[in-house]
Amino acid sequence: MSRDVYVHRRTSGPRAAAGWDRRQVLMNNLRTVLGRAFPRLIGLTREPSWLLFEVGLPFLTTSAFVLVYRALQAPPEYIGFVVVGGAMTAFWLNVIWMMAAQLYWEKDQGNLELYFTAPMDMMAVLFGMAVGGMLASCLRAAVVLVVGSVVYGVHFSVDQWLPLLAVFVLTLAALYGLGMMLASLFVLWGREAFHLTQLLQEPMYFVSGLNFPVGRLGFLGALAVALLPLAVGLDAMRQLAFAGGTIAFATPSPAVEVLILVAMSVVFLGLARFCLRTMERLARHEGRLTARWR
Amino acid sequence: MTAADARGPVAPALGRGGGGFDRSRADRGGLATTWRAFATSARLGWQMEANWTDPLLFFIYSVAKPLASALILVLMVQIVSGGGTGAASARAFVVIGSALWAFVLAGVQGIAWSVLDDRERYRMLKYLYVSPSDFLIVLVGRGVARVGVGGMGAVITLMAGVLFLGVPFDAGRVDWAAAVVVMIGGLAATVALGILMAAICLQTRQESWSYPEAVAGSLFLLVGAVFPLAVLPLPVQGVSLALPLTWWMAGFRQAVFPATISSVGGSGSLFQALTGAAAPDTAMIVLALLVTTALVTLVAAVLFRRSEGRAKDRGLIDRTTGS
Amino acid sequence: MPDLPHATDATADHAIEARAVTRVYKARPAPVTALAGIDLEVAPGEFFGLLGPNGAGKTTLIKIFTTLLLPTTGTARVFGFDVAVQTKQIRRIMNMVAGGEQSGYGVLTVREQLWMFSQFYGLGVREGWSRVDELIEAVGLDAQRLQRISSLSTGERQKMNLARGLLNDPWILFLDEPTLGLDVSAARVVRRLVGDWRAAVPGRTVLLTTHYMAEADELCERIAIVDHGRILAIGSPAELKRMVQRESIFRLELDHLDGGPAVLAGLPGVVHASPAAGADAGAPVDRQTVAVNLVLIEDGALGGVVGALGGLGSHIVALAKSEPSLEDVFVELVGRGFDDVPGEPPR
Repeated sequence: MSRDVYVHRRTSGPRAAAGWDRRQVLMNNLRTVLGRAFPRLIGLTREPSWLLFEVGLPFLTTSAFVLVYRALQAPPEYIGFVVVGGAMTAFWLNVIWMMAAQLYWEKDQGNLELYFTAPMDMMAVLFGMAVGGMLASCLRAAVVLVVGSVVYGVHFSVDQWLPLLAVFVLTLAALYGLGMMLASLFVLWGREAFHLTQLLQEPMYFVSGLNFPVGRLGFLGALAVALLPLAVGLDAMRQLAFAGGTIAFATPSPAVEVLILVAMSVVFLGLARFCLRTMERLARHEGRLTARWR
Repeated sequence: MTAADARGPVAPALGRGGGGFDRSRADRGGLATTWRAFATSARLGWQMEANWTDPLLFFIYSVAKPLASALILVLMVQIVSGGGTGAASARAFVVIGSALWAFVLAGVQGIAWSVLDDRERYRMLKYLYVSPSDFLIVLVGRGVARVGVGGMGAVITLMAGVLFLGVPFDAGRVDWAAAVVVMIGGLAATVALGILMAAICLQTRQESWSYPEAVAGSLFLLVGAVFPLAVLPLPVQGVSLALPLTWWMAGFRQAVFPATISSVGGSGSLFQALTGAAAPDTAMIVLALLVTTALVTLVAAVLFRRSEGRAKDRGLIDRTTGS
Repeated sequence: MPDLPHATDATADHAIEARAVTRVYKARPAPVTALAGIDLEVAPGEFFGLLGPNGAGKTTLIKIFTTLLLPTTGTARVFGFDVAVQTKQIRRIMNMVAGGEQSGYGVLTVREQLWMFSQFYGLGVREGWSRVDELIEAVGLDAQRLQRISSLSTGERQKMNLARGLLNDPWILFLDEPTLGLDVSAARVVRRLVGDWRAAVPGRTVLLTTHYMAEADELCERIAIVDHGRILAIGSPAELKRMVQRESIFRLELDHLDGGPAVLAGLPGVVHASPAAGADAGAPVDRQTVAVNLVLIEDGALGGVVGALGGLGSHIVALAKSEPSLEDVFVELVGRGFDDVPGEPPR
């Protein structure tokens, strides 16, 4: 084998090779997003069984709550609330399992130390995970929305499509920012943070009003709207998707909630960057970046 | 040189007292061995899952999660029905069903996940399998421990329901005998279903962790946990009536909380259409529970042995799928 | 053949530099000191080894250099970059390959897995694919390029890991027990690949940790023997062995020796001559040989011995030089073998 294969890039020396300009840094991070999304996208085509579980399972859960409302002879708008909530659950689960907890799995499998010894930014890795999981989440949400609407006869009345789309995008931005923050905790806390993920399911569904207008929680609902992107995003989407209905949401208007979401996106993404750097420094200090101590 | 010298040294005598291999050790023990295997695996399961020494984990798994699930349903009832007596009855219905569901999740998902945990995370499955204990007994022991852990969450939810959420409980009206029989039958059915899921997971490669979740999710819709069966289409109700968990839920409500709505009967239910009665009585529930539980247990045991044999034949017991 | 780059950076005198590095882990019941004051310098282009038993602190030290761990006290630098604060710079010029690595995504093929990492290391999209294909061929994984990594054997996986380690043309490669768990031929291939890669560009540095003495002896130009978080000795393999045994020891097998080994004891350069065990005692008497252990001041004295034997009419049937191993060096320094437990009698 020719030794040419062992020489790919010519640099004058290690210190020259270590100095990257801003363009190189940006391109590295963009390519990292692509690279990390890659296994998720490939996995969709190679393991088609995900279709049944990623799509079928959420539909079962949504159906259970729909049937509870039917048993209670609730107004039809509530069925719609459950369907929309079920669709957004897909993104929330993607955030907590495919992003926040993912770094814990990476550490368990030995990938985390390879990430931290590579030059890219960890936020690019997390964003790549989010992008990679987005396709499955969107499909899951779409199936719940469409099939749920058809099977359970949900009628949407959307007056303003652009604000609805904007709310959806902002909700995702805030959710993924929150997910990145949580990911940094997982790097430090390890197995304990995995258990914390469990706490972010049913209790989060309750305080976010996944199956009912969050305003009915009173003060707790108000707090949720102020702090939780899932709560405020879901509420704004319901108000826009079922405009002109008779149900009282008892929450701020969609315009105000959009501003809350913008603020949340900026704050969570900024905090995520700070937390990831701080947590990496702490993890290096305490030796928690690797799972196995050989 | 004598003939004995020519023969060379004689091998030590085998069998007891001969100082060599004791063949009787290879014979299967009796009931005592089975009980020991069951008790050891139950203790192992309890120590692994109970979390009672870790307050945070105990809070998450035995308090926060089950309570939050119940509260979601309670709030749904409250929003729609307000504060009337109908609401109180519906509230009790969903709280009891949600509490009992903790047993089901622990049993059905928990046993299957024990197999997957041992195969994928701890890499212990092959060692458990080649140990002298019967693998099925070991799994049953782990399953019972998991159900016990789930029971902690169930008890806490029921207590919270009675104390804070208006679930009516009158100790004087409880049919204790029926309650005990129903609980034994229901938990046996839960463990049997868990063994069935474990049998399936021994064979699966991809998405193994999702099969128990999918089955539990389907059961949630079918057994009258949080809504009466009358809401379901009639053919689906037929499937529900064949499941032991349906009778377990109904029996527990009837025995312990007799003021709550029946999940099996009611207007529009298949049960009423078939029998003419508004709701089943205790004797009918217990009989249906015992028959369906026996059937499920038999099917689970047969399928598990078949799955075990197939897994051994295909070398699946010591593989790791990376799932 | 492209112009080969050289390490011309004048600001980095050392590829690796550690000054009074300690590392203490918080643990119950008491903190664990993994490194107890390490001072180390590795020159650019050197193949340096850290040799020691399990738990000596080798992996802890390599984790500090690869920016996975901070030292508790002391400083460490890689090509002049401080491991504590200049992590990005270090990560751009180094790579790491560890033994027993099971990382990766099982659903991806070898080619895809490597391409994914090429993106992390800053290669372009198309550049990454072509670079991956070159390295797959170089490490001998051509037949497995489209195979899912979950189905690779241990040796194949380690070749893939090595290819990953070479993707970004690192100036320094950290190898943490890279042949752990590999069979003899696979280990040999990995060592050869590392050697070829290093030889391609002057200035490329390798830091190897291992507890396989033969591997350290074969590959490393200098070795640091580590135990309980301290460096016990540093030097080339030959220098380290000379610490234990300054003389040259030979075992001769002769057809006969009139007068026995004592006749050799007085020859110039001979320190000691004694009968050796293991001559073919079972052979017919007329074919039995005489074995002699000979301790000489230096190798050069052997010529005089051979000449004297010729004068005595003895013919040499076999001649073997006996050298101490690196474990002998370790035993000399520490008082126990690699596998012996401290405080218990040696095996």
